[in-house]
Amino acid sequence: MKAALTLVQRFGAHPDSRCWFVTWSPNGTLLASCGGDRAIRIWGREDSWVCKTVLQDGHQRTVRKVAWSPCGNYLASASFDATTCIWKKKDDDFEFQSLTVLEGHENEVKCVAWAPSGNLLATCSRDKSVWVWEDEEEEYECVTVVNSHTQDVKHIAWHPNQELLASASYDNNICIYKEEDDDWECRATLQGHTSTVWSLCFDAAGQRMASCSDDRTVKIWKEFPSESWKCVCTLSGYHGRTVYDVACRLTGFLATACGDDAVRVFKEEVPANPDELVFSLAAQETRAHSQDVNCVSWNPKEAGLLASCSDNGEIAIW
Amino acid sequence: MASRFSGVLQLTDLDDFITPSQECVKPVKVEKKQGKSVARIQIEDDGSYVQVNQDGGKQKLERAKITLNDCLACSGCITSAESVLITQQSHEELLKVLRNNKVNEREKKVVVVSVSPQSRASLAARYNLSSSEAGRRLTAFFRGLGVHHVFDTGFSRTFSLLENQREFVERFRRREQDSKALPMLTSACPGWICYAEKTHGEYILPYISTTRSPQQMMGSLVKGYFAEQQGLSPQQIYHVAVMPCFDKKLEASRSDFYMSEAETREVDCVITSGEVEKMLEEEHVCLADVEPVGLDSLFSSMCGDEFLSHAGSGSGGYLHHVFTFAAKQLFGEEVKELTYKTLRNKDFQEVRLEKDGEVLLCFAATYGFRNIQNLVQKLKRGKSPYHFVEVMACPSGCLNGGGQVKPPAAQSQKELLLKVEELYKAERPLLPESDTRVAEFYQGWLNSLGQKRAEELLHTRYHAVEKMTNGLTMKW
Repeated sequence: MKAALTLVQRFGAHPDSRCWFVTWSPNGTLLASCGGDRAIRIWGREDSWVCKTVLQDGHQRTVRKVAWSPCGNYLASASFDATTCIWKKKDDDFEFQSLTVLEGHENEVKCVAWAPSGNLLATCSRDKSVWVWEDEEEEYECVTVVNSHTQDVKHIAWHPNQELLASASYDNNICIYKEEDDDWECRATLQGHTSTVWSLCFDAAGQRMASCSDDRTVKIWKEFPSESWKCVCTLSGYHGRTVYDVACRLTGFLATACGDDAVRVFKEEVPANPDELVFSLAAQETRAHSQDVNCVSWNPKEAGLLASCSDNGEIAIW
Repeated sequence: MASRFSGVLQLTDLDDFITPSQECVKPVKVEKKQGKSVARIQIEDDGSYVQVNQDGGKQKLERAKITLNDCLACSGCITSAESVLITQQSHEELLKVLRNNKVNEREKKVVVVSVSPQSRASLAARYNLSSSEAGRRLTAFFRGLGVHHVFDTGFSRTFSLLENQREFVERFRRREQDSKALPMLTSACPGWICYAEKTHGEYILPYISTTRSPQQMMGSLVKGYFAEQQGLSPQQIYHVAVMPCFDKKLEASRSDFYMSEAETREVDCVITSGEVEKMLEEEHVCLADVEPVGLDSLFSSMCGDEFLSHAGSGSGGYLHHVFTFAAKQLFGEEVKELTYKTLRNKDFQEVRLEKDGEVLLCFAATYGFRNIQNLVQKLKRGKSPYHFVEVMACPSGCLNGGGQVKPPAAQSQKELLLKVEELYKAERPLLPESDTRVAEFYQGWLNSLGQKRAEELLHTRYHAVEKMTNGLTMKW
């Protein structure tokens, strides 16, 4: 029997709808969530977690993902209405205003992510493309459109300290992109998953990346010289259904969100062979939610604080 | 199979989860015949569908067929048009016509091939020739196969450039009254046109120049003037264009370029530079070994046995020519040299005409999908400072078109492109205004047809494609 997670609080976030995604602000004080009700909610801690503000009327369809800018003053939201909204935080309170709408994707935008520098933004869509946008004094221009996947692109993530971008797709592959002589190009295609790759994340140093898939596994990839990434560890046998999300924490912990309603935490072990990588299941909550768990997110400042959200519209803080 | 269309077209594919055979969502029109009885449909062993009536009689059912025109008129997808296209426009089709010519005297067609300057440069790079040499040898190769005439779309491009210049000056003069007069966006790139029609519709189309592309100008010349001159009906001519781009096949198939009275297309078939390379290989011919012949002077831009080209970009030089012409016509400024300022990347460049600190003309060249996006967004937000934009779907423009010859293993795409550019630029430029032969066509042939007919032969129209809202295209 593995240790269970301690529930701090559970609350309905997107009533009568799915809660698709949760993400902590860079300073860890706020949590942003989005869902099928086309709304984005910002949560803050008082005695308990309460909704500070609701961002509505920005999108006409489901808001699939949200992302904080590294400075914490902007929020980007990706929606099935084919647009990405940029929201700006007003000084000293929890009010946000819609700054601009990025149009261009042919259909559903699935994910949005800010580069660590804060002046580049990436989006991906069911139209199979990944776009990079550059912020020039709050005017966003398209820097590139890359078509390296053959199917729906589910998720994108930036490398923590390089201008390197990774994307996960319905075509079972992961692509790594870099700017090369005036344009961005796909530098590596990582094959290994046998079904849709739903999400991926880099570790803090950026040497490793974890990906999760509909094939019920989590894979850890490591960067080797000359831009090649190899799978060094596969976590299989733990997940009963699709693994929808994986989140890396600073010190060798991984959390996963799974279609079997569970949230799991894996811990990196010291391996016998230094070339190997071993993770063991450290804790799991098999009934974390009453329906599919869509997302997990570690608080960047408070070690061990984890947020998860589910198809039933709820958020849980662990 | 990877799609060979320009990236712009690949992106407009709206649906992705289903395989090509299932992909088409175009509702098929069914000819309903009167009948009272209920019938069963039975699938035969050969896969054909048979209707079994109540009296037991059988009737073979017609297979629903999607033609390229259906594809073009549909917003469902574009890439699945590829298989349809390959069967209608390929070098195999050309060879079929040539074979037929040898055995069937009565149905014999006069075969005309019009080669683009960009294809000439691409094949010149492939076989280590100069562009003109490649053109002369290509002429010999096609004649050897049984082609009757080999023309040069550099010649018809002179018409496109002249019409662009004229149209721009006219639009500039009515810019105060007509908010959609400027910026004028070029029309020679079919990938861009298709994208604009399918995704931006009525919003963008009025800005696009109505001038025909060089390929379709040549269509007018070959099936109009040439047919008349030879005493042929347009149908008796099989007209092939050799282009740097797959999207040109779509352009040739547009209903606007179908001559409904004569029941023929102005350009029957488009083959790419790469497909010509394939033809040479299939015939076991190295272009460098082909004995060159004299050029067909009727529709070729040439001086002696050297081809003449146009100044400016490798995509036709539209910006260059319209800019110098407009500077002179509108402001009396003689522009000797254009200064291109690179903006966000090498495929977004700007040229300005300034006088006493005032910007008189602001032109841009915008290539590739990412830059087209920024241009369209700028237009939508009312933040475009441009009077004219040369728009091309391919990064680096037409010399880098998707139909060009691919580099050998030892060469990078970039190295090859540099070589092709160099070969292309080596051809001596000709100023469209001083082409006396083209001027004669305007004064003689076009003048005799009357203004309306001339306008039809030199210009075209665009049609917004409505987004399909049928349930089949919805996808979560």
